[in-house]
Amino acid sequence: MEDETFTDISGKAISLDCQNHSSLCREFVVSVPKVSIGKVMVYTCCVWLLAYAVFFFTENTAVLSSAIFITLVGMMLHIHFVKVDHETLLVIGSLGIQLSSSYASGRETTTFIEIGKIKDIVINEAIYMHQIIYYLCVLLKDPSEPNAVSRVVPLFQSSKPRLNCLMKVYKSCQEILSKC
Amino acid sequence: MVVNSPSPLPERAIYGFVLYLGSQFGFFLYCLWAFIPEEWLHSIGLTYWPQKYWALAAPIYLLVTLVIIVVLLFGVNMNNTAPLDSLDNMTDVYAKGQKTTDCNKGGIPRLKDIDISEVNRMFYLSPKL
Repeated sequence: MEDETFTDISGKAISLDCQNHSSLCREFVVSVPKVSIGKVMVYTCCVWLLAYAVFFFTENTAVLSSAIFITLVGMMLHIHFVKVDHETLLVIGSLGIQLSSSYASGRETTTFIEIGKIKDIVINEAIYMHQIIYYLCVLLKDPSEPNAVSRVVPLFQSSKPRLNCLMKVYKSCQEILSKC
Repeated sequence: MVVNSPSPLPERAIYGFVLYLGSQFGFFLYCLWAFIPEEWLHSIGLTYWPQKYWALAAPIYLLVTLVIIVVLLFGVNMNNTAPLDSLDNMTDVYAKGQKTTDCNKGGIPRLKDIDISEVNRMFYLSPKL
């Protein structure tokens, strides 16, 4: 698969990997660059220098130990709950789709949506903070009311790829969804 | 029917000049009240005026309110924006309730809200012309 450079909405490089397991099954993996050691060191040094400055004026050693504790706990919580390593979309024709997010600590969260509930996968534009972004989302329908959209599940929320990446995934998904 | 336009007119110039003179005069009076000591004002006979504290406090209150309004406006707008997983980004009550039947098959289609799946197919699946 050609690797034209994809970026997310703020310009950071991401990578898309499309795997064609069979004519009915495709998997898309969007990977975000890992936490850089330079950034971690810069943040840690800033926090600890600040704590040392506060200690210099207050002569309270609890400031130093609490700064160390907060830095460690904060980093652990960040890589376990916040920092996403890669997000996967697995489309299996006439069965369903599976969304999975894998975090930097190794934790994985997975959701499976069966084909009966899926109305369509579309690219929509919406206001996000101060800008308008394109995002890929799954439209879910109630089996009792097949023409109305009951819920919207946005995909690739942590990596937020731009339109060129989304178009590739969209075209690929529509090939499978239109067959069943 | 007179068309309302924002172009300069003689009446508007007069209003503007009157407002300018009035505001300059008002500022002059405010400065007078702020600077003249209390005893002098009492000796003239003007006894029931606000405390001099307000000569500083009122402008500061005004400026702080202005700054808070700017921040609050931005915040309220962001709070009212629908999140990415909300149905309001796709459709609303009026789009769901519109008539879907075409009255005239050969003519121009009726103006309506097009379904998002169809819009996507038109944008991203149709072959480039």
